[in-house]
Amino acid sequence: MRPPGRQLLAAAALGLALGGCAGLTGGPSGEAKTAGPVPIARDPLAARHRQQAEALERDGQLRRAAEEWKIVLTITPTDTRARESLRTLQARIDQLVAERIDEGRKALARGVQVEARRKFLAALALDPGSRAAFDALQSNTREVEFISHTVRAGDTLSSLAQRYYGDRSRSEVIWETNQLPPNPRLAPGTTLKIPEIPGVPFVHPEARRPPPAVAAIPTPDVPRPGPAPGPGPSPATPAPKEEYTPEVNPLLAEAREALERSDYPDALGTVDKYLASKPGDREGLTLKKQALYGQAKSQIEAKQYPESIQSLTLLTRLQPDYEDASALLKQSRTRLVEQHYTQGVRFYREEKLKEAIAEWRVVLEMDPAHANARRNIDQAERLLRGLEQRMKK
Amino acid sequence: MVGGLALLLGACATAAPEPTPAPGAARPGPRPAAYESEDFVVTFAQPGDTPETLAARYLGGADRAWMIEDYTGLQAFSPGQEVVIPRRSWNASGVTPGGYQIVPILTYHNLGEQAKGRLVLAAASFREQMQYLRTNGYRVVSLGDFVEFTRLGRQLPQKAVVLTFDDGYRSFKDFAYPVLKELGFTATLFIYTDWVGAGRGALSWSDLRDLTAAGFDIQAHTKTHADLRRAHGETEAQYARRMHAELELPQELFNKNLGRRSQILAYPYGRWEEGLLPKVKEYGYIAAFSVRRQGNASFVRPLAAHRSQIYSEMTLDDFVKNLNVFQEENLR
Repeated sequence: MRPPGRQLLAAAALGLALGGCAGLTGGPSGEAKTAGPVPIARDPLAARHRQQAEALERDGQLRRAAEEWKIVLTITPTDTRARESLRTLQARIDQLVAERIDEGRKALARGVQVEARRKFLAALALDPGSRAAFDALQSNTREVEFISHTVRAGDTLSSLAQRYYGDRSRSEVIWETNQLPPNPRLAPGTTLKIPEIPGVPFVHPEARRPPPAVAAIPTPDVPRPGPAPGPGPSPATPAPKEEYTPEVNPLLAEAREALERSDYPDALGTVDKYLASKPGDREGLTLKKQALYGQAKSQIEAKQYPESIQSLTLLTRLQPDYEDASALLKQSRTRLVEQHYTQGVRFYREEKLKEAIAEWRVVLEMDPAHANARRNIDQAERLLRGLEQRMKK
Repeated sequence: MVGGLALLLGACATAAPEPTPAPGAARPGPRPAAYESEDFVVTFAQPGDTPETLAARYLGGADRAWMIEDYTGLQAFSPGQEVVIPRRSWNASGVTPGGYQIVPILTYHNLGEQAKGRLVLAAASFREQMQYLRTNGYRVVSLGDFVEFTRLGRQLPQKAVVLTFDDGYRSFKDFAYPVLKELGFTATLFIYTDWVGAGRGALSWSDLRDLTAAGFDIQAHTKTHADLRRAHGETEAQYARRMHAELELPQELFNKNLGRRSQILAYPYGRWEEGLLPKVKEYGYIAAFSVRRQGNASFVRPLAAHRSQIYSEMTLDDFVKNLNVFQEENLR
């Protein structure tokens, strides 16, 4: 990642510096002082950078070469030969940048996005501040999706074009994208990039989504939606490396977490807040149902039947056939009736007749056909009347 | 913030810069010999010189030490060693013949004492991750600086990383703020305005003003955190009304409470579609972010840039996989 050349250069310069050449007469800013370490002389220092510039230029590293010329001129601003070299080099760079941009535009016109992108990038590699190359790259080329194809015996560019695009004439796009020689022989085992061509959907079967192996079962319990078909490429385009992780609504996330730690009141409060802004939202409703169901179950376990009935009533109102909710609702009612009935019996045994009657009345309210409760009330009332008459006497 | 595009390498890379010596504090001895032009300074390291001291001496601030480190590829110098210091941007787009720079933008949500679900990250993990960035030479830059990078207006350090926090959880103050302040890292908070002040878990506008004053950046995450893509069966008029609510109402609240509009948007659920981009632009946003897990080249489309979500179950190794800062590609 780091340009190694500069490090070498710095090391070379260090060697010279330690050589202890004196005789610096002062920098262009006139701030050179005799204090501090003795720097090397202007000319040998500039000479190192001049050599570096020439070496980089020979190697085709034109931008870095230009920087080295500028460093030479920083040290020896009156070096007319360096100034001329920089001017010539700069003109050459500008020329090459213009050519790359032109090639890129032509590639765009042919519809070969990948090639256009590479040309614009090559222009920027030569001149990283080129506004023309940058704007062309940013506004005209999308990030291109590829399929990697491993060449098999018998593959030709035309056969691959037919296979992926349903169009043999697209072979030149594959050829250009992979920078192949003219009439290439495709060696089995090598990998080719098959680019997405805007407007030309892939037709290759591998590029299609496989059908689901099992029929989808509607599962109210699935907490999050699958990755959305989402933006960008057509549905036929595979996204081999793309990890698309939809962000989660914080309220939903909070509700889900509350649910995970079985804090149902918290989960319900949060999901209701979420649903207030998005009434009918499927994900929100799914969560709400899960929370109501979980809450009801825990209430049943704690024998809090009035509460479990309330939860289950809300739940069955949202979805009458949710899991075994309606069975649980019936069960809760039965248990609540039993609870009141036995409580009545307990009061009766403690001779708290009025309280016993009140309990059994609740039972009758909930289950008017409860014969035992009716009979017990009659009996308790008779007893009560007898007691009251005795009291009067 | 982004409005005032500094064309040259302007302000510091971090909004909360490392402490600089108070004016009048002891300066290093006499200035050493140096050759200077508008492009470069060529000088020689004195005993004790570091990229920071050289940057303070020649670039106007220790926070520009990255320029010296990135240009020379060195982090330390021997006395007498020649040091070439670039005075201005030398690679605005980050493109080189061997490939191009990419900037990871990390997305956090909630933090807590303990991890809880995917989106509540344990405070200790967060500290470990931030410490990793510091120890390994990453430089946290502001999202505004990144946006300027996508407009060819600002070179970024080679190992630039951006931190973002979504929704506006109160836990930012309790768990993230102390760590970020300690390390001198800045961050952007994407808030959705319905959530602001909405309860015990949410930051208030007053908190957000305090965070702004402390060098943090607040940007918009819509009004209700609804998917901004056009829904099935939604008419043109309904969609326009909904987009007005999601994109403009937050702007009004930003104006009222922070005295400025938001210029950067995080798409709820990271979701967007091509047709949405002109609308986002129309309401004054100059950059917007998905949560597609990849870094950003300078030439990414600013309204379709990417962020990588950090989940609580990630190990440090998983975290590090999101920190790639260079895409190799032969561009010669």
